[in-house]
Amino acid sequence: MVAPIAVYAIAISFYPIIYSLAISFFRYRLTDPSQTRSFIGLDNYVRAINDEGARTAVINTLVFVVGAVALEFALGLGLALLLWRDTRLNKIAAALLLIPISLTPLVSGLVWRAMLNADFGSIGWYLANFLGQREGLTAQSTTAMLAVIIVDAWQWTPLVMLVLLAGLKSLPVEPFEAAQVDGAGRWATVRHLAVPMLAPTIVLALLIRTMDAFKLFDVVFAMTQGGPGLTTTVLNFDVYKQGLVFFDMGYAAALSNILLVMIGIFAVIYIGVAGRQRREGLRVAAVRARA
Amino acid sequence: MNPSSRVTGLLATLALITTACAAGVSPSPSASASASAQRFDGVTLNLAAESDQYAAVLKKLAPEFQAATGAQVVVDILGYPEEYSKITADFVGHTANYDLVTVDIVWSGEFAMNGYTVDLKPLIQRDAGEIDSSDIYDVMWKLGEWQGKQVAFPMAGYANLLNYNKKAFDSAGLKPPTTMDELLADAKKLTDPSKNQYGITINGQKGPAGAQDFFVYNNQLGGHLLDANGKPTINSDANIANLNFFASLFKYAPPGAVDYDWGARETAFKNGIALMQEGWSVARSGYEDPSQSKIVGQVGTVVAPIASGMAPTHGFGGWGIGINKDSKNQDAAWAFIKWIQKEWVLAGSGSYIRKSTLSDPDLLAKFPFQTFIADSFEKGDGDFRPRIPQYSKIQDIMGTAVNEVLHGTKTAKEVLDAAQAQIAPLFP
Repeated sequence: MVAPIAVYAIAISFYPIIYSLAISFFRYRLTDPSQTRSFIGLDNYVRAINDEGARTAVINTLVFVVGAVALEFALGLGLALLLWRDTRLNKIAAALLLIPISLTPLVSGLVWRAMLNADFGSIGWYLANFLGQREGLTAQSTTAMLAVIIVDAWQWTPLVMLVLLAGLKSLPVEPFEAAQVDGAGRWATVRHLAVPMLAPTIVLALLIRTMDAFKLFDVVFAMTQGGPGLTTTVLNFDVYKQGLVFFDMGYAAALSNILLVMIGIFAVIYIGVAGRQRREGLRVAAVRARA
Repeated sequence: MNPSSRVTGLLATLALITTACAAGVSPSPSASASASAQRFDGVTLNLAAESDQYAAVLKKLAPEFQAATGAQVVVDILGYPEEYSKITADFVGHTANYDLVTVDIVWSGEFAMNGYTVDLKPLIQRDAGEIDSSDIYDVMWKLGEWQGKQVAFPMAGYANLLNYNKKAFDSAGLKPPTTMDELLADAKKLTDPSKNQYGITINGQKGPAGAQDFFVYNNQLGGHLLDANGKPTINSDANIANLNFFASLFKYAPPGAVDYDWGARETAFKNGIALMQEGWSVARSGYEDPSQSKIVGQVGTVVAPIASGMAPTHGFGGWGIGINKDSKNQDAAWAFIKWIQKEWVLAGSGSYIRKSTLSDPDLLAKFPFQTFIADSFEKGDGDFRPRIPQYSKIQDIMGTAVNEVLHGTKTAKEVLDAAQAQIAPLFP
């Protein structure tokens, strides 16, 4: 039974990672007429450190991940709490809110780009005429990343909401009934009861979105091409450019490995937090059982 | 057998299959490659085409070619970066997914150096009688020519023209500009933000859009990206001055133009928001189509202005069509190329390669602007965007540099000095 899983893991996961790691130590450009690979050790990684574009892309990636995930979590939790009660209206609202997830990110990027155009976009025109955003959100270095975050939040907040809503609905009702009997208000119940009990689900939602946010590409490709300047160039967009525009496979592999390490660090942190939450939950349950 | 042995075995099998397929690749088109009826029954030609107007025409002509020769042509219409990525992956992987590819003029050097597509020169010489090369503008051969090789056949020649709103020019008492100073002055005079009216529209978006428009204006202002020895001269005084001039035009463009790509630029002109636009001749007929234009009958077209005192030279670009070197259907592919270059313009592609077409009295009566296209082709410069293997990298670096100046985050000198430092090492 282990063999198929091992083959699957090797083919889908292990081999590509090892191959990517291996070619990152080579100067390997597919469009070179000779297509030779020369071993250059860590030069591709040194090049990434010295490359202003790559450094900016790392910072932009972190800014995007923190900004987008925080916004999606805040909105997702708020929506989940609003839709917690099992009414027909809430079910319809939840179904409608899921529509953005069904769109391809590239398509949503193109649609939002058209809508945000300052001169003839349906949203951009209002922003230009009533908020003085004459050049449009995506055209200004101060607001372009914000525009990308807004589009990502528009598309993926419903997913966070869905995960948290499922978590809320799976919570036992007794503690909430007890809190109601004790006269706890709605806000206190949410803050001191629902959110702590929801912690493992929150960690899961954050983990899913964080890992996905690190891989942002489509919206940047469709909306900004990484601009203005390098303002919205994220690491995955840089990997695409180096790998599939310049076919510089060694350098692209090095950049994608850096991205992999960044995702790995965040995943370890989240999994650590999730483990602590689980152990805390077991401890509380044991105390309650003894009582 | 352990898992790693199984993977190795699988890879070895794939390698054997690939080798077997590669062994079946036919040599270059034979002398018997005439497009006689039904000669290519059962052959399917896969064609990768960029999504310009010509792509839809290729698709429309495909069934006619099948009726004439038996070969089915499947046209895969792709966006610009997608086509480049897909066909390059096809070439380097020797997967031969495409038999025919449309080739942007700026890819000529890279394709020739790497031997991605068949050198058509011997075939053109062999079939000279069918092609009538003397009727094709000299500059058209740049669409695929590189150091003695012809890696694509001319298919869609584009002239850079100035389009202007005649109604607005008449109201303002202006004549179309012939010099770059006049262009700037006219743009300024025509701009009135209170009426949502702007003198000119230009691409400013980071990436190919902003870079290519700067290259066009830089050429008209007498600037060059390479010196006479073919070495980069990105941060020359002339180029710095020209980039400042280019940025100054944006004062008279719609505010969102700093983020415009080709589609947005065209929309601003067709909606009547902007009153001048430089662009490729292929888009010209679209201004008279009421389904996509609000300025039908109002557009005048002239050759693009140049700097005062400069010898007339006009930006030239466009597409050729080449045969994948790994294709197994090279005879049929060459037959298709010969066939479309005869059928081309009358099918409505908006693209020209032949002198006889541009001087055709019937077509001239319908499209008077063809006179200016002919003039631009006669004095066309197909190298203002260097057709060298390093082009895609140069365009990427310049796309960011130009954008930074338009946003005022850096000066023209700063970005072009930095660009020169990045581009110079790309040259041996």
